[in-house]
Amino acid sequence: MARLDQYKLTLRLLFEDVSSAAGLIIVLGYVGVAVIDAVYPQLIGVVSANVEIPNFSNPVPQPPTWPLHPFGTTFPGVDLYQAVMAAIRVDLWYSFLIVVGGALVGILVGVVAAYMSGAIDEVLMRVTDIFLSIPYLPFAIAVGFVLGRGLDELSLALIVVWWPLYARYARGQALSVKENAYVEAAKASGVGGWGIMTKHIVPNVLTPIFVQISLDLGTVVQTFAALTFIGFASSGPFLPELGTLISNGFPYAISAPWVVIFPGVAILIFAVGMNLLGDGLRDALDPRSRT
Amino acid sequence: MTLRYYVVRRLLLVVPTIIGLTLIVFILTHVGGDQRFLGEYINIHSPISVSVQEQQLTQRFHLDQPVIVQYFYWLSAFFHGDWGYTQTPIYSGPVSGAISLFLPNTIVLATLSSVLTVIIGIPLGVWSAVKRNSLVDHATRVFSFVGYSLPVYWLGLLLIIAFASPAICPCLNLFPVSGAVNISLTNGLSWYQGGISFPTHVLLVDSLIYGRFDIFADALMHEVLPVLTLTFSIVASVIRVMRSSMQDTLNQEYIRTARAKGLPNSAVVNQHARRNALIPVLTLMGYTIAGLLGGVVLIESIFNLPGIGYWTTQALLSGDIGGIMGGTVIFGLAFVFSNLVVDILYGYIDPRIRY
Repeated sequence: MARLDQYKLTLRLLFEDVSSAAGLIIVLGYVGVAVIDAVYPQLIGVVSANVEIPNFSNPVPQPPTWPLHPFGTTFPGVDLYQAVMAAIRVDLWYSFLIVVGGALVGILVGVVAAYMSGAIDEVLMRVTDIFLSIPYLPFAIAVGFVLGRGLDELSLALIVVWWPLYARYARGQALSVKENAYVEAAKASGVGGWGIMTKHIVPNVLTPIFVQISLDLGTVVQTFAALTFIGFASSGPFLPELGTLISNGFPYAISAPWVVIFPGVAILIFAVGMNLLGDGLRDALDPRSRT
Repeated sequence: MTLRYYVVRRLLLVVPTIIGLTLIVFILTHVGGDQRFLGEYINIHSPISVSVQEQQLTQRFHLDQPVIVQYFYWLSAFFHGDWGYTQTPIYSGPVSGAISLFLPNTIVLATLSSVLTVIIGIPLGVWSAVKRNSLVDHATRVFSFVGYSLPVYWLGLLLIIAFASPAICPCLNLFPVSGAVNISLTNGLSWYQGGISFPTHVLLVDSLIYGRFDIFADALMHEVLPVLTLTFSIVASVIRVMRSSMQDTLNQEYIRTARAKGLPNSAVVNQHARRNALIPVLTLMGYTIAGLLGGVVLIESIFNLPGIGYWTTQALLSGDIGGIMGGTVIFGLAFVFSNLVVDILYGYIDPRIRY
């Protein structure tokens, strides 16, 4: 029961703080849009999958008109409102994939390094350091060069860039967890190295990693959209993706500012919500930072 | 251990990092197949047939050997100054030539932004901590929070819209939004041709060498928006860390002692607290440099500035191995060495730190 009480306390602390509650509402709103768009897109007004306007081939962006095109249209004849709504699902899904993928690899490397210690630890951590010493944007460009230019490849490139952070973090946590008496007890009762790592160390490393994921997600959404913006994913003009939308609108930005403003606002609000929620989660889950 | 020994030891540790870094990038760019690589060098207009050229190139770059052996040939050439060739819309020629052209501009952009970040970020963070929960504090926190969440290239686009679109801003054309200089000023100059200035390749310096203060002023105006955008993207985290670190420091016993013996507030803040509060900020600066280098890639592309970031992006878009390899290595080196400088600076800020 103690654990349940702990969760209750965490949730209460999260909701008592106005800013983290606001963050939670924003993030849930985005997740809601993404889920609705995947299940029943008409509910949020998305009528066609590639958001191209039927019988509308004017590539020059048109200003917002209510209620036909509330956000206006953008190059090449796309309703911006539908495109942004559909793009939220794409960006959220890939960003989620990137942090979870990065965290899985990072936890594996970090926990093995911490538990094995000695030479294996040294080698794994030096490799991690080398990956960390390459600034992420040029590095993602180099990885993307090999894998090809597409959204799946971009996610894989960003996982390669992101895992070292989680590896260092997981190792730090695992180092203190493995000194606990219950790990010693498990060892004494004959549990193998793999069993100790998966059953006793990993579950206790997960909570801080989870907080780290929530702190990172806002940044990952931004980075993902930044790379599609500079043309990393040659996905074609009709793929609804926030960075691609901004990039398609870039040539018209001065005469038709709405084409870059709306997709950017969508990224900004999500990043703000995620950062608010991440800060709140960290405060709620980490008793040391409670004030 | 003295400072000199520490620097030498850290420099030696840089070597395996650089070898690892170049190895990763080399393998990444060369597993894609030899054809991609050969395409860079083969001249279809040459009288020598393509298959003969391929043979010659295969011998020259040891393409018939395993990738790891090719890497050591590359590394040897790298240390002899042969960094390969690059072919992008903005530059074709040796990679070392591209770097000597583009790197100085990037250094200027990054340096101006770092200086501005320190000038703005540290006083704002200190002020925000000293006047805790005041209006200034709240405003600063909102500012840093928004800065933290704002996509840097999008901010750049907003600035372009604001300063170039006639409908929005009366400050129209106050700051130029694209390129490094107004072309009408540089037409027919012997030391500025094809967007490249001589001899330093930094227009801000070259214009002073030739005494053209009008070009200097124009080039400076062209730097304003890129520098502001880049600064805004990194100053937020500096303010955040400076504020929390300053708050921790102000709660220390020795600060209470200083106040108890009647020191004025300004002396407590400026002479006792601030220097000690700087250490976490310095740690952060190491990470900030990574953000700065990433920001450079985006900002140079948006504002059309001829720098390393713009070149690397062009290399990605045109599938240019030499450019990607050279760009990534330069960014990696910049990151490794700036972190080295940060580590050495610790000793100056906190004399208790012994290496």
